[in-house]
Amino acid sequence: MAFEIANIDGSADNAAEPSRPRKFLLRHASFMVGSLTILLLGLAWEFARPLGLPGLSRLPAPTAIVAASAELLHSPMFWEACYKSTLRIISGFCLAQIVGIPLGFIMATNRTIFNSAFPVAESLRPIPPVAWIPISIIFWPTREASTIFIVFLGAFWIVLLNTIGGVSTIDQTYRRAALSLGSSRGHLLRYIIFPATLPTIVTGMVISMGICWEMVVAAEMIAGDTGLGYLLWQSFEISATAQVLVCMFTIGLAGFLSSAAIRKLGRLLTPWSPNE
Amino acid sequence: MTFDFGIAHRKHGSGEITVDDISYSVGDREGNVVELIDRCSFHGERGLFTALVGPSGCGKTTIMNMIAGYFAPDRGTISLDGVKIAGPGWERLMVFQETALFPWMTTLDNVIYGPMVRAEKPLRQIKQDASALLQKFGLGEFGDRYPRELSGGMQRRGELARALINDPLVLLMDEPFRGLDAMTRQLMQKYLVDLFEETRTTTIFVTSEIDEAIFLADRLVILSGSPAKVVSVIEVTLPRPRNFEMLSSPVYAGIKERALEILYAEAVAAFAGHGVTSDLKESFERRRVV
Repeated sequence: MAFEIANIDGSADNAAEPSRPRKFLLRHASFMVGSLTILLLGLAWEFARPLGLPGLSRLPAPTAIVAASAELLHSPMFWEACYKSTLRIISGFCLAQIVGIPLGFIMATNRTIFNSAFPVAESLRPIPPVAWIPISIIFWPTREASTIFIVFLGAFWIVLLNTIGGVSTIDQTYRRAALSLGSSRGHLLRYIIFPATLPTIVTGMVISMGICWEMVVAAEMIAGDTGLGYLLWQSFEISATAQVLVCMFTIGLAGFLSSAAIRKLGRLLTPWSPNE
Repeated sequence: MTFDFGIAHRKHGSGEITVDDISYSVGDREGNVVELIDRCSFHGERGLFTALVGPSGCGKTTIMNMIAGYFAPDRGTISLDGVKIAGPGWERLMVFQETALFPWMTTLDNVIYGPMVRAEKPLRQIKQDASALLQKFGLGEFGDRYPRELSGGMQRRGELARALINDPLVLLMDEPFRGLDAMTRQLMQKYLVDLFEETRTTTIFVTSEIDEAIFLADRLVILSGSPAKVVSVIEVTLPRPRNFEMLSSPVYAGIKERALEILYAEAVAAFAGHGVTSDLKESFERRRVV
């Protein structure tokens, strides 16, 4: 990508020994282009407002959002909300992995358990986690617990199905080679089935992290008394629209960063997979 | 050019495989029974290199899987040194069609896998043995690389090392050089011939390439297409050690001619049912002009 750009703007002749700032520019070319696009969109938004486009004129200008975010970034309430949401994400996400991955392995390797548990899973899975919120509030003693449960549910199905899918698509040849070499059932599970499934599990983790942020915001809007989702809804209720937008962008950024972190973790866990 | 391995050899060869009158069939999607193997018998003699040759898809791989013990024949028996084969075991090790090195393990971890899970020796000694073996296989510097980072030829050598560290009685090779480029393939053939001549591990080798089979083997077992049947057994009388010059000897040409004759006759017979015999005969005739 960076190379193509370098060739287009004619820097190929001194490509052999690019200067240090040039090297920096080349390496981060896609990031630069991306940032520039966002900046241009912001400018377009700022200057399109006076044109009286429907809807757009009712939204605050980007400058107002920047001002609101400066204000919000100085309030402890905002950081408290970030902290609470992050904590719920981590709890729900980790619980989903701790329950989902072993359960997936057990279901995928034991036919009896699979046959009895899979229909239950398949009939509960289509229910959107948001639909669980009322029952969750009734069932769990605290709002905190019910919010974490909703986050957990969002990630859980993906983790479970990815693990089962990963185990059942392992190439027969690996299993056979390992059996010939003298593996016991335990060896198979530890050295073959688990590592062979790991890339699929990592994919499940990345996807489920995205769902976790959707769920935590939904749950906090409906049932929360803290968190980014709650703050977003409160800001809307008091017509602080700029603040609503700041919350939205914060959630987007947090989702992006946590997915990137999981991807990084995934690469550390599976050093043998090619980087996509 | 000769490769030197320095691996302990057995003077009198290792195991002997007897395939006795085996048949095998599977059910297809419509519930019909499809016969894959029909009353096959042959010997994988002690210390000899036996090549199973036949059209692709004729059931050679199925026979190999049964010798490895992944499933049993419907009738007949396969035995190793007179003992009926009842399941997978490290005395019969398979080198698979596409590489079956575990992609999540480094080359060294792949090679130590067998001895490690069987825990016959302390791990430190296993690692030493494996490093020495990798050195001999020209993979000394690649022990800590993942299979993905190796070339096709290196992967096959890695897989040979993973099998041979277990000192198997029989080596089963199922078209191991398929997918390699022509140069690498030739190099690997020479490599395997040298390795075999040094270790004399009883080997059963599946291929659909007649030249490869004659160059490597002491005996060709020629199979017909579906269901697989043994049509002919040809002794390869070329002397050992083998080298590529032998490919232009009259003995070689004679063996190849005989083998091709049988294979063509089988192919024509197989196609006769589809009503394209005359076309096929013609094209075969044209190809036979060597």
